[in-house]
Amino acid sequence: MQPDAPPEAGQAILSPSEAERQCLMRSLARLPFGCLSLQFERIEKSFGAVNALRGVSFDVAEGEAHALVGENGAGKSTLLKILAGLVKADAGEIRWQGQRFASSSPRGAIEHGIGMVYQEMLCLPNLSVSANIFCGREICRLGLLDDAAMRARTHLVLDRLALRIDPDALAESLSAAQRQLLQVARALAFDCRILVLDEPTTALTDAEADHLFDVLRELKKDGTTILYVSHRLPEVFRLCDRITVLRDGAFVDTFTTAAVDTNTIVRAMVGRDLPKRSDDRSAGRSDGRSARRSNDRLSMLRLSRSPHFRNISLTVASGEVVGIFGLVGSGRSELLETIFGIHQPDSGDIQLDGASNTIRSPRDAARAGIVLVPEERHRQALLFNLDLRHNLVIPKGTLQDNVLIDTGGERRDAAKMLGDWRIKAAGIDALPDSLSGGNQQKVVVAKWMATKPRVLLLDEPTKGVDVGAKFEIHEMIRQQASEGLAVLVVSSDLPEVLALADRVLVMKEGELQGELDGATATEEAVMHLATHEAVTA
Amino acid sequence: MKRLRAVRELSTVAILIAEVLFFAWYLWPDAGRAHPFLNAENALLILKYSSIYGIAAVGAAVVIISGGIDLAPGAVIALSGVVTGYHFVAHDWALVPSIAAGLSVGVLSGLLTSLLIVNAKLPPFIATLGMMGITRGIAFIITEGQYYDVSSRLPAGWRPLGVPIDWLAPIVMFAMALIFQVVMTRFQWGRSVFSIGGNETAALFSGIAIGRVKASVYVISGVLASLAGVVLVLVQGQGKADLATGYELDIIASAVVGGASLAGGRGSVMGAVLGTLIFGVLRNALPQIPGATFYDRLIVGVVVIIIVVVDQLLLRRSSKS
Repeated sequence: MQPDAPPEAGQAILSPSEAERQCLMRSLARLPFGCLSLQFERIEKSFGAVNALRGVSFDVAEGEAHALVGENGAGKSTLLKILAGLVKADAGEIRWQGQRFASSSPRGAIEHGIGMVYQEMLCLPNLSVSANIFCGREICRLGLLDDAAMRARTHLVLDRLALRIDPDALAESLSAAQRQLLQVARALAFDCRILVLDEPTTALTDAEADHLFDVLRELKKDGTTILYVSHRLPEVFRLCDRITVLRDGAFVDTFTTAAVDTNTIVRAMVGRDLPKRSDDRSAGRSDGRSARRSNDRLSMLRLSRSPHFRNISLTVASGEVVGIFGLVGSGRSELLETIFGIHQPDSGDIQLDGASNTIRSPRDAARAGIVLVPEERHRQALLFNLDLRHNLVIPKGTLQDNVLIDTGGERRDAAKMLGDWRIKAAGIDALPDSLSGGNQQKVVVAKWMATKPRVLLLDEPTKGVDVGAKFEIHEMIRQQASEGLAVLVVSSDLPEVLALADRVLVMKEGELQGELDGATATEEAVMHLATHEAVTA
Repeated sequence: MKRLRAVRELSTVAILIAEVLFFAWYLWPDAGRAHPFLNAENALLILKYSSIYGIAAVGAAVVIISGGIDLAPGAVIALSGVVTGYHFVAHDWALVPSIAAGLSVGVLSGLLTSLLIVNAKLPPFIATLGMMGITRGIAFIITEGQYYDVSSRLPAGWRPLGVPIDWLAPIVMFAMALIFQVVMTRFQWGRSVFSIGGNETAALFSGIAIGRVKASVYVISGVLASLAGVVLVLVQGQGKADLATGYELDIIASAVVGGASLAGGRGSVMGAVLGTLIFGVLRNALPQIPGATFYDRLIVGVVVIIIVVVDQLLLRRSSKS
């Protein structure tokens, strides 16, 4: 049960690459049967009429890092849920080192050595780090909780992850990255032999993601098998030995990372070629550039809200897309939420069309024509108890102060919006739960565009959205801008910012670090501003 | 979702019908004797007493759909009844101003409650628990253990709204149920209540004035409870401080049996009213079964649990398919 003693420093530097090479060699060669640690065999699962998985078979070799990629709705999450024992497969079986294995509960999966790190970062904010790790499997002595033993074990696990946090700290005091690692710690505390990670870097900065990868490489070296699910292909290429692609609930292919490129994987994921970004990007951008400066629609003058951001001055012209790049914790979400009236600034001024506005609530903001597509659509944007029709028409209806609901008119509006925004749904009576992440996001954009806003604020507009829908959302944003909308988009997805924005502003620790022209900015230049001290400082 | 809601209301009706049929069969009299349960007079009696719960349950359903809870209705019913009686009997006010004074109790307590919840950010459970004590306490202070004999001051053979007095409570209940059923399903305000109950953060981010809507929800609950109190004191004839003791839990249970989810975002006003009728029939019929008198609270408790469990099973199945 005890983790191995930490390796000596010299070993730590040499071994990962060697282990990686070994793993690579193993996966390049055709694997002998006994080495397959985890096999999925013809797994099928339907939810009502939807076939989530139709006979998926692939295998994960012992000790390798194996990526599972696919668009939203491809069946990755369902497969993980079956592995974790949350959902029962309709047909097919999972084999664990040759033995048939069926975890009927999350607990069973854990006892078989499967450690799950979920996308939603399940953690109990009101409990300590140590209590989170041992939740449900507390160490007891004479029937009483043995806090000392749990704290000691927590120390060991945290050391192994190079995570410097107090075992007694409350989980709510941790950063997003620390919470993510806390889940890894939870898996490690119980000797997991296969670690399954579902989109673990969604909320992490690049530096934090690097740390996570270092940890994962260490674990791999120690013999832990890793099953890694992500939308972000660069990460997959950095970490994984082999890549399995799912599409529409079916297995497409397993590739060896060393022998494949990104385009091949993307084609396998979406089943078609995506248009090249750079081409349409310059086309959409020229409109914005000509319109710029003639008409500053939104401007901020030395806007501050302690401790999140200080002295932010920026303008967004009609028809312009301004991108703010910043890592998590740089204050960018708080800035957007302040413009949208959720928080009040300590000082500074927000002007719309050159006139100061007093915006005390999102309602005021939306009335003035400023709308926000927030970062967390589950928590902040969608009403899961109401159908799509209601979700789509609520902002428009509530802003117009209609007393009576015109059901017929709303149904027509909503149906039109589903068509206009190419939202894939069973109909306007469908619940938001039944939509993929990309389509949910389109609902959020559509509901606000129905209010005919003048300024669109977007916070991580394609977080948790698959490649195809991401492209469509980008296209829609540019389309709206070319029709005169002022767009301010915040993202930690660097290629996204560069693809969308006419101007790129970089935010770090609550301050703007500089401005780059969207057409000429490079990823290196932006990252440099985001991570280094300003030259003058 | 609409279909689901309709099914849910139908199932509440089905439970009510099944319940009536069961007691009609169980209490079937010997040949030649009148049916003790299945007669017009008894039906009116059930309606009359259920209606007091029913009027307040309309407000409780609205509060629960908004994701909140109101523990004060029982005490507000009592204070409104007492205030009406106080002005009408002790101060010789005319009937209409006395009723207005009674209703103002609900407005004031509702406003105070919403101030505590929206402005002072108290959890609704705590705020309304406090208000329950305060309103009941004021009722005792006003009456000093006495009661106001309202019935002796009412004109003999008084026909409010042109109907016999026994009809007053059911008419008010059905009117309120109808009005709020329409308000909750066809008015922007009602949908805002559903939105807030479903996801308060998303509602805020959608531009809904959540403070204003939540405040109005508690004022409406207060007004409906005081309306129930005024009707109770007119129908029953006595304004006293221990009126409607413990009603709050039956009112909440009625709303839940009628399909409201305590997690918020789900429920219906009609369902809540049907829920009070289900309890009304139980309260009326159980004492007529020899030896069952001591079992009636137990049976009511078991019935609540069974209905809610079955509801959840049905919901789970329908959300799967």
